[in-house]
Amino acid sequence: MFTRRQLLQSTSSGFGYLAFAALAQEQAARASSEAATNPLSPKKPHFPAKAKRVIFLCMDGAPSHVDTFDYKPKLTADDGKAAPARRGVFGGGKLMGSPFKFEKHGDSGMWISELFPELAKHADKLCMLNGMHTDLPNHPQAFLQMHCGIFQSPRPSFGAWVLYGLGTENANLPGFITLSPPQNNGGPVNYGASFLPAMYQGTKIGRGGFGPGGGGSQQVSNLKNPKLTLNAQREQLDFVQSLNQNALEEVGTNPEIEGLISSYELAFRMQGELPKLLDTSNETAATLKMYGIEGGGGGRPMGPGGFGPMGGGRGGFGQQCLLARRLIEAGVRFVEITMPGWDHHRNLKDALTNSCSAIDKPIAGLLADLKQKDMLKDTLVIWGGEFGRTPSGQGDGRDHNAKGYTMWMAGGGVKGGYTHGKTDDYGFEAVEGKTHVHDWHATVLHLLGFDHEKLVYKHAGREMRLTDTKGNVVKEIVA
Amino acid sequence: MSRFALASIALALGWNSPALAQPTKGTGFADKPTQDQLAFFEKKIRPVLVESCYNCHSAQAEKVKGELLLDTREGIRKGGATGPSIIPGNVERSPLIKGLRHKDPDTAMPPKAKLPDAVIADFEAWVKMGAPDPRDGKAVASNKYVVDVEKGRSFWAFVAPKKSPAPEVKNAAWATSDIDRHLLADLEKKGIKPVGDADKRTLLRRVYLDLTGLPPTSEEMEAFVADAAPNAFEKAVDKLLASPRFGERWGRHWLDIARYAESTGKTANFNYPHAWRYRDYVIAAFNADKPYDQFIKEQLAGDLMPSADPKTKAERIVATGFLAIGPKALNENSSLQFELDIVDEQIDVTTQAFLGITAACARCHDHKFDPIPTKDYYALAGIFRSTETCYGTVRFVQSQRPSPLIALPAESAPSAIAKKLTAEERTATEKEIADLKKKIAESTDRLANIFPAAQLSMAQSKLDSYEADGTPKLQAMGARDKPERGGGFTPKGPFGPGGFGPKGGFGMSRSIDDSPIYTRGEPNQPTAEKVARGTLQVMSKTPLKIKTGSGRLELAQWIASKDNPLTARVMANRVWMHLFGRGIVSTAENFGAAGQPPSNPELLDHLAISFMEDWSVKKLVKRIVMSHAYQLDSKFDKAAFEVDPDNALIWRMSPRRLDAESLRDSMLAVSGQLDATPPVGSVVARTGEGPVGRPRLGGDGISQAINDPKNTHRSVYMPIVRDNLPEALALFDAPDPSLITADRPTTTVPSQGLFILNNPFVIRSSEAVADKLLKSTTTETERIRAAYLTFYGRAPGEKELATAEKFLKGFQAQLAKDRVPATRQERETWAAFCQALFASAEFQYRK
Repeated sequence: MFTRRQLLQSTSSGFGYLAFAALAQEQAARASSEAATNPLSPKKPHFPAKAKRVIFLCMDGAPSHVDTFDYKPKLTADDGKAAPARRGVFGGGKLMGSPFKFEKHGDSGMWISELFPELAKHADKLCMLNGMHTDLPNHPQAFLQMHCGIFQSPRPSFGAWVLYGLGTENANLPGFITLSPPQNNGGPVNYGASFLPAMYQGTKIGRGGFGPGGGGSQQVSNLKNPKLTLNAQREQLDFVQSLNQNALEEVGTNPEIEGLISSYELAFRMQGELPKLLDTSNETAATLKMYGIEGGGGGRPMGPGGFGPMGGGRGGFGQQCLLARRLIEAGVRFVEITMPGWDHHRNLKDALTNSCSAIDKPIAGLLADLKQKDMLKDTLVIWGGEFGRTPSGQGDGRDHNAKGYTMWMAGGGVKGGYTHGKTDDYGFEAVEGKTHVHDWHATVLHLLGFDHEKLVYKHAGREMRLTDTKGNVVKEIVA
Repeated sequence: MSRFALASIALALGWNSPALAQPTKGTGFADKPTQDQLAFFEKKIRPVLVESCYNCHSAQAEKVKGELLLDTREGIRKGGATGPSIIPGNVERSPLIKGLRHKDPDTAMPPKAKLPDAVIADFEAWVKMGAPDPRDGKAVASNKYVVDVEKGRSFWAFVAPKKSPAPEVKNAAWATSDIDRHLLADLEKKGIKPVGDADKRTLLRRVYLDLTGLPPTSEEMEAFVADAAPNAFEKAVDKLLASPRFGERWGRHWLDIARYAESTGKTANFNYPHAWRYRDYVIAAFNADKPYDQFIKEQLAGDLMPSADPKTKAERIVATGFLAIGPKALNENSSLQFELDIVDEQIDVTTQAFLGITAACARCHDHKFDPIPTKDYYALAGIFRSTETCYGTVRFVQSQRPSPLIALPAESAPSAIAKKLTAEERTATEKEIADLKKKIAESTDRLANIFPAAQLSMAQSKLDSYEADGTPKLQAMGARDKPERGGGFTPKGPFGPGGFGPKGGFGMSRSIDDSPIYTRGEPNQPTAEKVARGTLQVMSKTPLKIKTGSGRLELAQWIASKDNPLTARVMANRVWMHLFGRGIVSTAENFGAAGQPPSNPELLDHLAISFMEDWSVKKLVKRIVMSHAYQLDSKFDKAAFEVDPDNALIWRMSPRRLDAESLRDSMLAVSGQLDATPPVGSVVARTGEGPVGRPRLGGDGISQAINDPKNTHRSVYMPIVRDNLPEALALFDAPDPSLITADRPTTTVPSQGLFILNNPFVIRSSEAVADKLLKSTTTETERIRAAYLTFYGRAPGEKELATAEKFLKGFQAQLAKDRVPATRQERETWAAFCQALFASAEFQYRK
């Protein structure tokens, strides 16, 4: 292990990013005698694992499973019949067969509905979790539970835990980035660090939700000086750093000032690097087409008033998928992108068609792109929402259903073309291979090389973890 | 509700009938097993138990799971936390068998892998034969934690503070106070020599920032440096203690503890338009040096204290806002769960804020570290369940738990709303209400009614916030006792014109009453017997005497008593921490067994005992800042560092970064923008009830106001909306207001750098100082000197002057290269120079 000073001297930029270690050392020295390490440098997990990074495609609003990835012929057959007792709060509780056709795809013969013609071509890459369930059929709680494990009190988000566990591979970028997260359902808590040190919190790019600016603009706060050129700012920063060097020399040793010096340098480098990554103008037409950004695909704009997120075009979901790939490729550890608008209480047929068409080509493009860059093998792609929807109709839509739904994963360390778990004949409730959100978290951590019971952080006198006191790894899906 | 809870309910409903709960002789267990049965056990059962179960369910287990021990006959028959594991002869009803069958993943055992069917069949056969079992002996978990309250009483924190004479020190001349003697004795024992004294400039800037959160002006600095009187420093301290800026800073420390915020946070975030009254109460209390014991009593039970005049009465009602401003999940479906969650939050904040312990851990199980049995938790819960929490909010989508507010006496307090409601406005709102009601009545589609119903609630709430004559109502958040008996609350519902939400009220307490214990914290698992309302046994041998009312007043008196071993220590420790950067108990938030013991117990007790003489926070602050130790330099010393790297013994003053509020306020002050007049109310108050983000209800006013770069009030008055903290605060480690925070962390992350380099607020402030400098001085050297004095409280050295001049020249040249018009270059250059000083360590740290 180098000393701080050696690291400072050995890094070419003068003020090394690794001087961050200084802070860690100071904090560690305060808290315990823990060995001083840079808290953000890449770390080894508990055991070797295939997945090294995560792209989480978050479907805000809870997509219907019985119309997408959970084929229910009996639901179709019994369409219009009364739902089993006490099911379905609204609409008289009549079963509503899916208006969409399902077919088998790939060598694995995986059932996927006609809503995903492009994604279906990648069936053999997908690992379907058809037995998902969560605690409450309420958006805010379930959304928080999906991100933080529990909703009862503030906890670090999933991405923050992963960053805490693995560190990051690019010193010029945040290690956990979330693109256009929603502002409701707990908002920033869903990418927050809670009691983990703030350096693990997600960096938000763009703002989510419907409306102008929603789902589209990719902005990081304070990333650009409104007046100065980078050259002018470099002049200014050099002066700041000379003041700080003087202050440092005067006091002798001060890890906090060393930390300050290096954090300014990282901030400055982020200003240079992040906009470059967010600018996709140098991507080829073929790539843009593959993600559905150009050349059709991607659905109409949705949401009240006809604005809001869509699949295609700059600022659409395809663009977000492409950004996710670029960020992951640049060494970001955890990227989350959000597609809002899945709360289909009404007009399921049209609205779900539109939602799915907005993500179908982009996700297919993402999987293909990762594959062709040989990154799918160690990148875990996760798709899913906070719960599923009722097999019984609610007018022409479906209500919330927490007892059974679908998420899927692809890439890093999971079995492709594999289906785990199932719901009952209608899709109300998971009955086999039941996978609670805690189990899903435990499994993802396992895929990244962690024993979820040992990835802990001491807070309020307790060793806290993402899975709280629960969670079992779904070993069956590990490749 | 957790999965575990669901499993527990199943257990409770299915198997926990009294007859079966306590298996005794003649219950069907094979008490006299045959040789064949024993052989079967040895061959088929015991090896499996040893191999697959003992790891978690035996005396040898590192951690016994579910309180279930399977390594003795007694243990396997008695069962665990959820009741017996075997119903002899009844395979289907035996939880053990159900677990082995893996039908339900929540109770599946062993959890990771199902045993072979043949093995399960063996267990079924064994249960059928009455579970013959030769294993004698008591079921004892080697590490089972049992709360021993009596033993707990000897833990240092639960023993009353002891007065001890100040120790003898070798360097008697150095020590100017008992505080110094206590510190120096320990330093001398370790062979550490304290560093020299801070120079006058450093000392004044330090004490200004520590006491008021603002740096001295250059005039104040020069006057102090010129004042050669021996009591010059004391005069400065007295002036700062008397300044209204003192309460704004020290009040903010308390607001961290009180998890102050102006919205509910959690799942659906709704405004608390009246929370600001509590903020102002706290600031005023610190400014008035309200005795700390009274401060405690007012916050817990101000409504129950006799008040001579309407103003005092109003003030004390507002104080109980302490109990009402916590985070709440307004979309909770179960009334009882909601009530128990509020009560839990109140127990949490009460025990942490005043006692520095976490009693809320005992909601579901006896406290793992501290001698707090679950029974004590529910003794406290009874007090808070007998209390009505009034916090307002409005019925809305995802918000189905509004409560009343408390009316304040007329003219007893200011109003956040300056304007009366005009007759026209009233008519318009009434019409809106009528129209919405009609629209809702005409529609049979409940879904389509959701939004109009929400609009209706908002309009109604607006109307309800005014008196009949249009004067804004004076209302506050707070607490009040429930009625002694009966209770006027009738459950409504299904709620609202839209017909949504839960039917209300089942199981909620409606009047003053003791609470049962809720096993594992589950609302559907109350014990038959109730626990007498009271307090923590470990800290009091005599039960609380509650004559009438909820018991809040008695609880408050018990906490604010000189006999309470923790109250004074916890507060004295926090005051120390805010001045030295580190508590004598370094875990300021936890004085329990999971915390750290005091680095200097005698000093802590000395401070606590002297604090209790008059409970004056200002006098305590003064005693500490007048010590020699506080006036030490912050210079690094290698020899001392090697012995005491944390500076726990105080061989120097630890330098530290300004906290978020001080940093922002200092920028405002230095740039001359600071508006020192406290604003009345807050943006949230003026916005009124409703969800925090409301793009469909007329604008997103709050989110813009939160980060308004033109806001020039002190940071303590910024809107504090849960999960939407102002960036200037959140980036610099202001705590999440959903958490109770005694000690803020200090992080250094690049997003702070980006804020300082690029944020409009910082740029505005830099331009403001630049304009000031350009106006007041003429030469470049003068300007640099003036800037150094303003930012740092000192003049620049020769080398620094030269560096600054070089920068100014180079930067202006760069601007020319960047084609900035010549007319703007000078101002831009000076603005960039000032921004650089804001960015510098010397500005951002206090030495």
